Amino acid sequence: MTRLVEVPAQFDDRSFDQFAGAFAEANKDAERLLFDAHAAEWASPYGLVGLLAAGQAARRGGSAGAADRPLLTAPTNPEVLSYWTRAGFFREAAELFEIHGKVPRAKAAEHSDVLLPVTPVRAAEDVHAVVSKIQQRASAILASELGLDPKATMGFAMALSEACQNIVEHAGTGGWVAVQAYHWRRKLARRVVVIAVADAGVGFRHSLEPTQSKRFGDRWGDAAALEAALVQGVSRFRDPGRGQGLAGIRRYLVRWDGKIAIRSGTARIAIVPKWDEDVPLKDGLPPFPGAQVLIIIPEQGSTEP
Amino acid sequence: MIQYIDMHAVLQQSVSSLYTDLVTRPTGRVVRERIEQAIAGLGGAEGAGGAGGAGGAGGPDGAGEMTIARIDFAGVGCIDYSCADEIVAKLLRDRPAVLVLSGISEGHREAIEPVLTGHGLAALIERADGTLDVLGAKGAAAALLDELVARRCAARRPGGTYALTLA
Repeated sequence: MTRLVEVPAQFDDRSFDQFAGAFAEANKDAERLLFDAHAAEWASPYGLVGLLAAGQAARRGGSAGAADRPLLTAPTNPEVLSYWTRAGFFREAAELFEIHGKVPRAKAAEHSDVLLPVTPVRAAEDVHAVVSKIQQRASAILASELGLDPKATMGFAMALSEACQNIVEHAGTGGWVAVQAYHWRRKLARRVVVIAVADAGVGFRHSLEPTQSKRFGDRWGDAAALEAALVQGVSRFRDPGRGQGLAGIRRYLVRWDGKIAIRSGTARIAIVPKWDEDVPLKDGLPPFPGAQVLIIIPEQGSTEP
Repeated sequence: MIQYIDMHAVLQQSVSSLYTDLVTRPTGRVVRERIEQAIAGLGGAEGAGGAGGAGGAGGPDGAGEMTIARIDFAGVGCIDYSCADEIVAKLLRDRPAVLVLSGISEGHREAIEPVLTGHGLAALIERADGTLDVLGAKGAAAALLDELVARRCAARRPGGTYALTLA
């Protein structure tokens, strides 16, 4: 028997909990999953890397055999299909899913708003490649279109590096990163650059449990783990220099009025700028494996919602 | 003696000649170990070399050797917080050393300064004109300058700036 997981028509961080709920329900037993994206109208980088993480978590039997892979029906809308292809989604999805539907053979975009197509992150070497590529491609857009000081490009690369290292050091498995610039009509009516990182690894609670759970006592859980990591800057390592990464990302985002949100397990934490209405901490969400990070840097100037 | 470290050369020797960025902890660890070898006089780093006589800088009373390393960041793209901690902070945490950073961009400084401040450590920045600036925790930075002056490794210039007296 195959269980259906519907991919939201507008698939981004806001609809991700709906997707996670459907995934958690369908993934309760060991049945094969079918991710149905045929009606997808739009997906953010967060949606795309999150879908890959779900595909990774839904693999059965621990092998790469076709029968162990979940199914995925590709979007039918040609424009959506074209964007998912340009964003590099299908290149990564081909290894994780048995894909149904026509998928264009076009290569991932080299000159577009896709600053970094969906890229796997498994080791430190991958982080080097990501940072190198983003500096070549992003500096012009960050400076000319977002109005960031050209010096901010290096900070952007640092933030991206630290977000990716979270996978390498804590997830216990590989993950994906994608970076895109787009005009965010819904929220800000201005351009933004979005970094999305997702994995289906052990998540923050499991990673921090050996060193932090006693300190939190009964409060310990996904929300407490996220709070410890993002707000208190703690790490699973006892080395006093650890925990610099997320703290550094926070400093960068405060300076450029940006936002970070991290979802792990059943909780989601966010550092919320004035222009956003998100809540700082949500608990009791549908469970989803690993960690998913969203970083948004808006065009500089007035960011009144 | 001031040990000269060409960070870009050490990086390329440590990871890949394709990359110019100091990112990730594993990279930082390898780079730091090469610098440590160079400081210890083992010649581990291709981009390392000594200047001046042998040994460290002794105190005014002749006691207490101090290692001074001039680390040139020219040619290094980005440095992230993890690498800054793994290289700069750990070099200072684990031994009595003075790090003089040159070729530093504002982006490099943004990553290194909070890491040093968080550990209560300080390093020096050598500007293109040879004057010194401090980086890191205020108290540690003031103490560092005082010690260098006391050891006659640095001197106050007219106008109140400081510069190294050693080559």
